[in-house]
Amino acid sequence: MSDAKTHSIDISAMQRGQEALRIEDEKVCLSVNDLHLYYGEKEALKGINMVIPEKKVTAFIGPSGCGKSTLLRCFNRMNDLVDSCRITGEINLHDENIYAKGTDVAELRRRVGMVFQKPNPFPKSIYENVAYGLRIQGINKKRVLDETIEWALRSAALWDEVKDRLHESALGMSGGQQQRLVIARTVAVKPEVLLLDEPASALDPISTLKIEELIHELKKDFTIAIVTHNMQQAARVSDYTAFMYIGDLIEFGDTNTLFTNPNKQQTEDYITGRYG
Amino acid sequence: MKMQKKTVSEWVKSGDPWVWLNAGAVAISVIMVVGLLLLIAVRGLGHFWPADVVQATYSLPGEKPYTISAERVESVEVTSAQLREAGINLPDDGDLLLQRTLLKMGNRDVYGTDFGWVLDKYLSDMQTPEMLFTAERHEWGNLYGYLMSVKEDGQVVSETKDVTPTNSALATWAIFEKSIERASTIHEEIKDIEKSDIGKINHALERIRLKQRRFELNGELTAEVEADLAAERSQYDEEYKGLQANLAALYQRINRDTFTVQVMDGTVHEIQVSKIVHAYRANAMNVPQKMGFYFTKMWEFLTDDPREANTEGGVFPAIFGTVMMVLLMTVLVTPFGVVAAVYLREYASQGWVTRVIRIAVNNLAGVPSIVYGVFGLGFFIYFLGSGIDQAFFPEALPSPTFGTGGLMWASITLALLTVPVVIVATEEGLSRIPRNVREGSLALGATKAETLWRVVLPMASPAIMTGVILAVARAAGEVAPLMLVGVVKLAPSLPLDGNYPFIHLDQKFMHLGFHIYDVGFQSPNVEAARPLVYATALLLVMVIALLNLSAVTIRNHLREKYKSLEM
Repeated sequence: MSDAKTHSIDISAMQRGQEALRIEDEKVCLSVNDLHLYYGEKEALKGINMVIPEKKVTAFIGPSGCGKSTLLRCFNRMNDLVDSCRITGEINLHDENIYAKGTDVAELRRRVGMVFQKPNPFPKSIYENVAYGLRIQGINKKRVLDETIEWALRSAALWDEVKDRLHESALGMSGGQQQRLVIARTVAVKPEVLLLDEPASALDPISTLKIEELIHELKKDFTIAIVTHNMQQAARVSDYTAFMYIGDLIEFGDTNTLFTNPNKQQTEDYITGRYG
Repeated sequence: MKMQKKTVSEWVKSGDPWVWLNAGAVAISVIMVVGLLLLIAVRGLGHFWPADVVQATYSLPGEKPYTISAERVESVEVTSAQLREAGINLPDDGDLLLQRTLLKMGNRDVYGTDFGWVLDKYLSDMQTPEMLFTAERHEWGNLYGYLMSVKEDGQVVSETKDVTPTNSALATWAIFEKSIERASTIHEEIKDIEKSDIGKINHALERIRLKQRRFELNGELTAEVEADLAAERSQYDEEYKGLQANLAALYQRINRDTFTVQVMDGTVHEIQVSKIVHAYRANAMNVPQKMGFYFTKMWEFLTDDPREANTEGGVFPAIFGTVMMVLLMTVLVTPFGVVAAVYLREYASQGWVTRVIRIAVNNLAGVPSIVYGVFGLGFFIYFLGSGIDQAFFPEALPSPTFGTGGLMWASITLALLTVPVVIVATEEGLSRIPRNVREGSLALGATKAETLWRVVLPMASPAIMTGVILAVARAAGEVAPLMLVGVVKLAPSLPLDGNYPFIHLDQKFMHLGFHIYDVGFQSPNVEAARPLVYATALLLVMVIALLNLSAVTIRNHLREKYKSLEM
């Protein structure tokens, strides 16, 4: 057990006045059973077992190349795009195996939205960016679109900044605004799960703060899984944290416990900055 | 010595020689392009300037002196030995080099030729008389001479004996000009009736004939149908008769006036005013007048039909044919190339088969264009075209509809020729779309096709346009294959007109590139045609530049719109 003072974590950020969380009490949104993933011959995920609780924020931390982004991309089958990628095991979204044959991948991705590291707005207007997912679903009624877009932009705390320039190009926005636009775009299709792949790593501190506040708000409506390099961020925003190392899930538990009282030596070494 | 060597190697090391070499290569390219444009511009544009008409006495030693009135075209120096060899009887007075000038003397109907070389040394009494006029005619080229009188119905209206600008000479000239104007107006009317009204009737009659033949072939030609068709036909015949009467009256009127002219050998000729396109006294014009004339001539060149085996008049049908063929080709090649590139890049698995296909596509771009012409003739025209004729136009046989060269086949052949360029450029564009934008779309529940259609292709559109620009540039300048698949030296009508079905894809058409070849190398009157070769070449370059410029504008607009993210 190490002294709390040696931690480089701002523990006070975690003191949100809540009781210690118990994973057994949570409703399960996603459950991962013995998930192996291979890139060609190389095994990138070595038998992952875990659950993602519903309407909570689960953070994935770990050194570069540990497989946390890969795992996140398994949740909406983004790895299907990689030719040499092979997967065994299963991931259940509310008791439905998303890797079962005949799964509608497009429908899955609508239910499990994803935000990437770099903001990737389409070269369209702000309005059309948010409308994109809706139009894909065949929703073209102006009234419905207008309402949903306003709601989505409000959810992403962007409405007040862009309401007067909805029809200007999204590429003219700042990086932080673009990232929130991408979140709004993802939220607009009303997914059940939001996957955030290092959403703030390309942003300045103020934008990062805004995104973190946003995650806090979004948790009320969505199950959120976030990959981050930044341990303070994981501590600030998440309810549960998973620590991964070279394709293995080393430790998974509620954030408070994991950061203050980790079970494994590896976890402690990592969060105290001794390696990683 | 050692010192010297060191500095040289240092100089090489410094990279300066490379910079010089590179800059030199660029400079030479630029000079060559500018020189080319300058040459064709100067030679081509000079043609429209109303040159002074010179009158002089030409007295070759040992021959009777005679008067010449002509325009100067060009001068060269030749050796006297060469001239003697050519049979000219030159006295041996020590001149080794003599200045020789090409004169355009016109009056081909009088002298047989309208150009001739003279030796400057034996020209004397050079003057530019104000009353010496040039008349462009519908046939036989230019006429140079002095106006003597103008007649109406054989009655002299005005006459003059003066060759200087006296009152009577100027009055006769004024009446002559008015008479030409009147004749031109009637000429326009006649052309209108012949081209559009009678053309329409002929078109309708041809359709009736084909309809009858169709009934005949299907065995449905009953007496009833025949009577119907005959009634329809007689209606057009009636209309035709009316127009015919109109035309006869117009011809009567246009031939009312004649004029007499004294040409350079002193003989007087009586000519119908209706034969004249326009007449002018270049020697009496001041610079602004000449400028005005110059631009009128240039406008005519751009908008008129050709006359006299393409050596006179304008090139409008050729411009029209070129632009239309290129546009049609673009419409065909763009979707075809894009679809092929999308399959190659996005759907096909990247194995050795795709690699072989890609190599084949690249090599296709290097096949000589005449080979495409042969393919177009053999496959499209003889095989597909005759098949189409047999299936859909049996009534027109044995005269072919699509079984002969035409606008459609030419466009398709050129589309085939340029499709590799579009494929390569599109593939390049597709491969440059950032992966995270595609993922962004997929993550929102879009399928691959939806992502392609809504995000990837719009973002790749500037690259696609680059391919189209290259394709247009290549297609517009292509001549060889076109000669096999539908270009002719003189097309009777434009491929787009007011007769159903308005765009005549089966029609043969004229093309600027082929026009250059035809005018320059197939023309009976080489001297008259030469300036037109340059003018047409300049025009072709400008048409291609204009087509490219519009494509570039569209591309820049798209680029602005789909500016990729700065990452």
